[in-house]
Amino acid sequence: MDVEKIRELIELMKDNELTEIRIVDGESRLLLKRGGQQPVFAPLPAAVAPAAAAPAPTAAAPAAMSPEPAEDAGLVAITSPMVGTFYAAPAPDADPYVSVGDRIKVGTVVCIIEAMKVMNEIKSEVAGTVEKILVDNTSPVEFGQPVFMVRPG
Amino acid sequence: MFSRILIANRGEIALRIIRACKELGVETVVVYSEADRDAAYLHLADRAICIGKASPSDSYLNIPRIISAAEVANVEAIHPGYGFLAENPHFAEICRQCKIEFIGPTVEAMQLLGDKVAARNVAKKAGVTTVPGSAEPLSNEDEAIQLAAKIGYPVMIKAAAGGGGRGMRVTHNEANLRSNFKSAQAEAEAAFKDGRLYLEKFIEQPRHVEVQVLADRFGNIIHLWERDCTLQRRHQKLVEETPSPAIDEKTRDPMCKAAVKLAKAARYTSAGTFEFLVDKRKHFYFIEANTRIQVEHPVTEMVTGIDLIKWQIRIAAGEELSIRQRDVRQNGAAMECRINAENAAKGFVPCPGKIEFFVTPGGFGVRLDTHAYAGYTISPYYDSLVGKLIVHGENREEVIKTMRRALQEFRIGPIHTTIPFHLDILEHRDFVRGKIDTGFVDRL
Repeated sequence: MDVEKIRELIELMKDNELTEIRIVDGESRLLLKRGGQQPVFAPLPAAVAPAAAAPAPTAAAPAAMSPEPAEDAGLVAITSPMVGTFYAAPAPDADPYVSVGDRIKVGTVVCIIEAMKVMNEIKSEVAGTVEKILVDNTSPVEFGQPVFMVRPG
Repeated sequence: MFSRILIANRGEIALRIIRACKELGVETVVVYSEADRDAAYLHLADRAICIGKASPSDSYLNIPRIISAAEVANVEAIHPGYGFLAENPHFAEICRQCKIEFIGPTVEAMQLLGDKVAARNVAKKAGVTTVPGSAEPLSNEDEAIQLAAKIGYPVMIKAAAGGGGRGMRVTHNEANLRSNFKSAQAEAEAAFKDGRLYLEKFIEQPRHVEVQVLADRFGNIIHLWERDCTLQRRHQKLVEETPSPAIDEKTRDPMCKAAVKLAKAARYTSAGTFEFLVDKRKHFYFIEANTRIQVEHPVTEMVTGIDLIKWQIRIAAGEELSIRQRDVRQNGAAMECRINAENAAKGFVPCPGKIEFFVTPGGFGVRLDTHAYAGYTISPYYDSLVGKLIVHGENREEVIKTMRRALQEFRIGPIHTTIPFHLDILEHRDFVRGKIDTGFVDRL
């Protein structure tokens, strides 16, 4: 299942105003759901890696595509309040501030975003469990970009 | 040449700069606010970075965020466009400190010419005629009264830190001047954080003619002739054209040479514009300098065939100007109409909103610089410029015919635009005869 084929399927869906396509091809399974303005990638657990690859989050288009696959329902995003570089830990050799599964409170420092040589500690505005970390260590982030997905409570 | 630059602006000028960069082989990084998230031109850049919420102070005026984006994207230079931070010496200084090239003049040249009083003094020293007025900012009301008596009413009170037509008041007598002085001071303090005022003779029924200049970092300075921007409403330009129908060779040549003299005196580099007022007797007076690329630059590009944005980038990259003054020809005439999302029939009230249909003009001699399209939403946070319709032709008469035709083809809706207004202007006898002044639109 390659990216070109997926692109063609999306075009097919748009042209024919389809909302859902499920494809099973030997070992790989793919589910494409088209809701709202943009098509959505929602690979099934057994899908091959390329089907799960979302475009790099630095350009405008993917940001507008903000997918909401079934498993993100009920999660709250911690978004970046600035443009800069994401650091998961206080120092290169230290443990990361949070890991998937950790419980955090309002005010818990979850990461550092470096902007113009200043290290900014980013504090969570939600209490709950960290379910996803969306950005790799030392990757650039832009304003409003989701960094963590938290299950509140 | 740079390998990557950041464009710290939005809309049509961001698109203009992206286009120049693509042709120069320079990678582009464009910043955007949440309000511009869906703009199509973002996809034409190599990379787009969201820097903040809609409000300009959170985004396009936010220096830390812009510099941060520049560092994250590892760019070598920043093009500030026009407006926003384009004439902000503090921003240019920070770029310098962060070792990012600012595509524009030096901090010093910007400071010197950006201060209207200092600019007048540069002109005086260079032997360029300025509008009679105060050499220094006025200390108090009485000094203003004394000076006004010497110059002769009517006089205009202007903010030293002002520009773009803001912070100006005309007074016709002493009582008028007294009552306006304090309020002008307060207004300047609030708008520009600088309450200093100066005085100038008010030239009645003037024409506004400006000269485009290009200067490299090796001391080469050329002018690219003039643009007549007399058609304004409340000091905001609506139509620009070249050559100016108000002047002849006897005025054009010395005025353009004066602009070069000013640029030399200020050690100016990059693109810049020197503005003059021309009175009924065709005398010209320097009023202010714009140390940036201007909205109406395409008008000059059409008659000279010179790409001003590309040259700004080349100059900033350290290249020498390869154009000699004698090679700069004015070929035919050109005119630009600024198409704004405003309802001219209802006092030019802004009409932001979604564009549902957008049928563009074309054909021989027509150029359209716009970031808009069917489906695009003009947001209320920024200026109302939808696009610039530029026309090139053999002479002014032909240009007016082509502009009329192009405006008639141009259909935008359901938002209101100034297209009907421009069509009316192009039928107006005074405009067609080239006999208008800066107060023309306000009197209509």
